[in-house]
Amino acid sequence: MRRFARKIRKMTTEMLDLPQDVVFDLPRVTMMGDVQVHIENHRGVRHFSDDRLRLSVSTGEIELTGSDLIIRAIWPDEVIVEGKITGIQYMRTGESR
Amino acid sequence: MNKLNSFIQGYVSVVIRGEQREQFVNLATKKRLEIWDVRFRGGQGITMKVLLRDFFEFRPLLKETSCRVHVQERFGLPFQLNKLGRRKAFISGFFLFLLGLYVLSSLVWKVDVQGNVRLSEDEILKAARQEGIYVFQWSFRLKNQEDLSKRLSHSIPGVTWVGVEKHGTNITIQVAEATKPDERVLNNPRHLVAKADAVITDIYTEQGRPQVRKNTRVKKGSILISGIIGSEQNPQVVVARGDVKGLVWHEYEVSVPLIQKEKTYTGEWKERKYLITGDRALQLTGYGKIPFAKYDIVEDREDAKVGPYQLPVGMMTEKLMEVQYIERELSETDAKNVGLQQARSDVLVKNGPNAQIQAEKILHQEIKNGKVYLNILFEVEQWITEELPIVQP
Repeated sequence: MRRFARKIRKMTTEMLDLPQDVVFDLPRVTMMGDVQVHIENHRGVRHFSDDRLRLSVSTGEIELTGSDLIIRAIWPDEVIVEGKITGIQYMRTGESR
Repeated sequence: MNKLNSFIQGYVSVVIRGEQREQFVNLATKKRLEIWDVRFRGGQGITMKVLLRDFFEFRPLLKETSCRVHVQERFGLPFQLNKLGRRKAFISGFFLFLLGLYVLSSLVWKVDVQGNVRLSEDEILKAARQEGIYVFQWSFRLKNQEDLSKRLSHSIPGVTWVGVEKHGTNITIQVAEATKPDERVLNNPRHLVAKADAVITDIYTEQGRPQVRKNTRVKKGSILISGIIGSEQNPQVVVARGDVKGLVWHEYEVSVPLIQKEKTYTGEWKERKYLITGDRALQLTGYGKIPFAKYDIVEDREDAKVGPYQLPVGMMTEKLMEVQYIERELSETDAKNVGLQQARSDVLVKNGPNAQIQAEKILHQEIKNGKVYLNILFEVEQWITEELPIVQP
């Protein structure tokens, strides 16, 4: 049933040309230089230290690496991270599309 | 989080320690608690800032994740207020000061009256008091100024306009008085007649018919200006008005003693001081026999005062001044001059302000029983009119 729903949704996005993050609950990552990252649609913090931040998202995890990382602000579906960011890695797990 | 908002609500900086600190953050955000500035502190600790309101929601989450919390620093208004709250006397004094300032500035401190000439200030202030304008009245109890002006101009007689102005704690009542024409003196129809036997020197008729001319001799009681005018067939009665001057003779008898007694102070004096309360006096100084045979007492009373209030105690100083009576003998000419002087001033006083002595003559002079007797004749120019009502048939 879920797979069926997913297919329907995918079809509608393609037909209506909607952005995928809106429909599929995908994370949207906005980066400002290497000093700030704004991640919407996260699902919670997995790990946090001053050189690594792992966030779970709908399709897996996002890992930020850098130094002096701080969470400037955090809300249920949104997080702003600051610091010197050196890398973003996307790790897909769970079911495939 | 808005900076000002978080300052007003107050926030704390806390350290969270524990294995599941990330889980703690997740749970907190899920509960929509406001946390920000999450930093890694090494080991198992993270610091974060949290709204004071939300800090109290931490307890169940801490239990669930078996984390420990430690407050590092407090920020914001609630904490500062708390600090201030401990200085209660200071705070209450500050508010009392503001209150006092407000109360005192809402009193009327001064009522001024301007522009009154005929009316006394007291009269106007009294009327103003009736309308509620007085010193120590509350400003907010005053009616509006237009109303006051209107009512005051009704209640004060003899004014055309009253303006009431308020400048801070001062009230100025501006008065414009009505100018009233002089009241006419009501007179009966009358003649003007001579007060004494005289020779007319000047006559000025304002109303009526003059009956005499300059240099006319008149008897006492004869008509100078008649109040009946018009022809004989058609007479008309008016109020005779005018000024008539004449020469009048006054005979004076004066006697002046040749030996004059005079009181003089010798310059010796003694002082007595009293403390007085009510009508009792307690002598303080100046006991002992009075060394003078004759003396005058000059009293000087001083009441103790505190500001405008009189106290029921006071000091009285009595000055006893020795007096001496000396006798002075006058020569005959001196005595005569004294007598003349007395007679002259008496004549001038009795015969009105415009009297002028034209001539004087000593008719008789003699010394009898130690006195000089004088008989003097004065020729005085003065007003001689007297009113005589006309009795109409």
